[in-house]
Amino acid sequence: MNRILLIEDDAETAEAIVAELTDRGFEVQWAGDGIDGLDHARASSPDAMIVDRMLPKMDGLTVIEALRKDQFRTPVLVLSALGAVDDRVRGLRMGGDDYLTKPFAIIELVARIEALLRRPTDDRKTVLHAGPLELDLIERTARRGDRELDLLPREFRLLEYMMRRNDQLLTRAMLLEEVWNYKFVPATTNLIDVHMGRLRHKVDGPGEVQLIHNVRGSGFVLRSRQ
Amino acid sequence: MHQVRLIRSSTFLWALAVAAAFALFVVGLFTFVYWKLDDYLIVRSDRMITTQIQFIADLPPARRIGAIADHLEQDSRGVQYAGLFDAAGTRLAGNIDQLPRELGLGGVVQGVRLDLRGRPADQVPIVRAIGKRLDGGDVLVMGRNVDETREISSVVGEALALGLLPAFSLCLVAGAWLSVRAQKRVEEVNQRVQRIVAGELRERLPEGGTDDPFARLAAIVNGMLDEMETMINALAGVGNDIAHDLRTPLTRVRLALERGRTHAATLEELQDITDKAIAGIDQSLAIVTALLRLTEIENNRRMAGFGEVALDEILREVCDVYEPIAEDKLIGLGVVIARNVQVWGDRDLLFEAVANLVDNAVKFTPSGGRVELALEAEDDTALVRVRDTGPGISEQEREAVLRRFYRSDTMRNTPGVGLGLSLVAAIVKLHGFRLIIGPAPGGQIEILARIGRTGRAVTRRSRTMVHADAD
Repeated sequence: MNRILLIEDDAETAEAIVAELTDRGFEVQWAGDGIDGLDHARASSPDAMIVDRMLPKMDGLTVIEALRKDQFRTPVLVLSALGAVDDRVRGLRMGGDDYLTKPFAIIELVARIEALLRRPTDDRKTVLHAGPLELDLIERTARRGDRELDLLPREFRLLEYMMRRNDQLLTRAMLLEEVWNYKFVPATTNLIDVHMGRLRHKVDGPGEVQLIHNVRGSGFVLRSRQ
Repeated sequence: MHQVRLIRSSTFLWALAVAAAFALFVVGLFTFVYWKLDDYLIVRSDRMITTQIQFIADLPPARRIGAIADHLEQDSRGVQYAGLFDAAGTRLAGNIDQLPRELGLGGVVQGVRLDLRGRPADQVPIVRAIGKRLDGGDVLVMGRNVDETREISSVVGEALALGLLPAFSLCLVAGAWLSVRAQKRVEEVNQRVQRIVAGELRERLPEGGTDDPFARLAAIVNGMLDEMETMINALAGVGNDIAHDLRTPLTRVRLALERGRTHAATLEELQDITDKAIAGIDQSLAIVTALLRLTEIENNRRMAGFGEVALDEILREVCDVYEPIAEDKLIGLGVVIARNVQVWGDRDLLFEAVANLVDNAVKFTPSGGRVELALEAEDDTALVRVRDTGPGISEQEREAVLRRFYRSDTMRNTPGVGLGLSLVAAIVKLHGFRLIIGPAPGGQIEILARIGRTGRAVTRRSRTMVHADAD
């Protein structure tokens, strides 16, 4: 069972997050301020942390910096009401951590925490497998069983990302950030859906078992196990 | 209180300091003059008594007594002294009582104390004197009182003091006047500022007709106040817009929830209502998020996140992201890149700006139309152009589209928060680039960027585009 430390000063938000994560099988510990949170983190070394940026006594980024100085490598998801045009936030992303702007959908938070916990382990593999799918990163070819998939470069990148994180919920924002490597909110809200529609059309042929699933109101999953 | 402020005011203190420095200078000058004068007079008197003693010593002994008497008689001011003594030291002639003991007889002038005939011992003056032993063994002494140098010095000193006093007073008066004048102006500024603080945003500082530093400062502050007034007014307008735009979806949410609470009979119905409510809240949040983001960009004067950004790459990737959407709408989306260009900026923000322009173009171009992205480069400027076959932006609307929440009347029913172009304008401004909106029909928006690191305001080419200038 994954243990998660939540450092958040607003009790109601914290309660909702704890309830949701507990339902999903996480063991959640809650700290209400920065100092308390830092102590908890040092004492129990959780598998992942969710840290609010503005905390009483010690702000969230300072807590993280303090932990990093002590060589704690726990992945962190930072929550904030502030925007993300900030170099300290950029630093977080570069360090492998993640950032979520308040207000957020709870499912987005869960998806990101799961992504942080399940980092793709082997980056050096040149051929990826997920169920009947096979992706050759060197030849740039994709197959489903015996069927060759004719993918555009952007579709190839999208499928690669989804195969690295199969059976995991991927939200639209995550896909946009990770596949195109830009952090922005498109005015056209169904932008990712259109891309996903194209990819699904090629991956899931007529009569085949559906691999790419749309999770209503939250995002997409590539299911390798049926 | 007023007097204390006057005395403490820096202008006055400076005047006081200048006056004190001036006084010190005059005192120094006086000392110098006195010292030089004293020196000169002593040298002159020494030369005189040396000549005199020589003259009398050269006379035959019989005539010396008479010559001394004559010499003393001619001195009406009583500053000359002479005495002739025999070898035993007995006075033979002159007004000196005794041969002064400390006086050498080698013919060198010395300052000595002389005992004078007919004067009490405590009034013995210090004089310059010279002694000489004559052939017969007699001793001749000649002297001269140099007290007159002190008189001359005191006259000069008085004259300087008389000059010093008015100058000193003048300094103080000038200092006081300047100080009072400055304080009056500060007080006037203070009153106006108080009115501004109280909410009278139209108030301005008095600039006056002169070109003194104070007037220039007032002009600078007035410029700042102009800018702030515009901003505050804009902000007030935004407040109204937000209230209006938020009220619509929130009202819908409220109605849906109310109806759901009383009418929903099954879990499915309740979930349906909840979904609608969440969608409404999401729309409200999108507005707030977009606004916060806009403010964040506008306020972000630090350019810490800036680096070399390849514009050509950004254009290709924006095209890549929007291609499927355009295809679905049967719109041709193409990108033409004349040359690869690097600019100094924020990669994410520039992507967002171009993406917003393309998003708008695709949204407003009718089916079967075309959206074209182009990157041109010339000398040190780059031009990103987004052109479409849509209706474009009419001249009257050009400024309005950059305002927050503007949506043209014909587009009321098109989804969107209405902050897209304001966001683009803010990003472009942050980079020191220019946004140029082309004439309708047919949409055309350009971002004029400066190539390389020295990215500040671009002016050269924009002058020829005044007509379409909407920055």
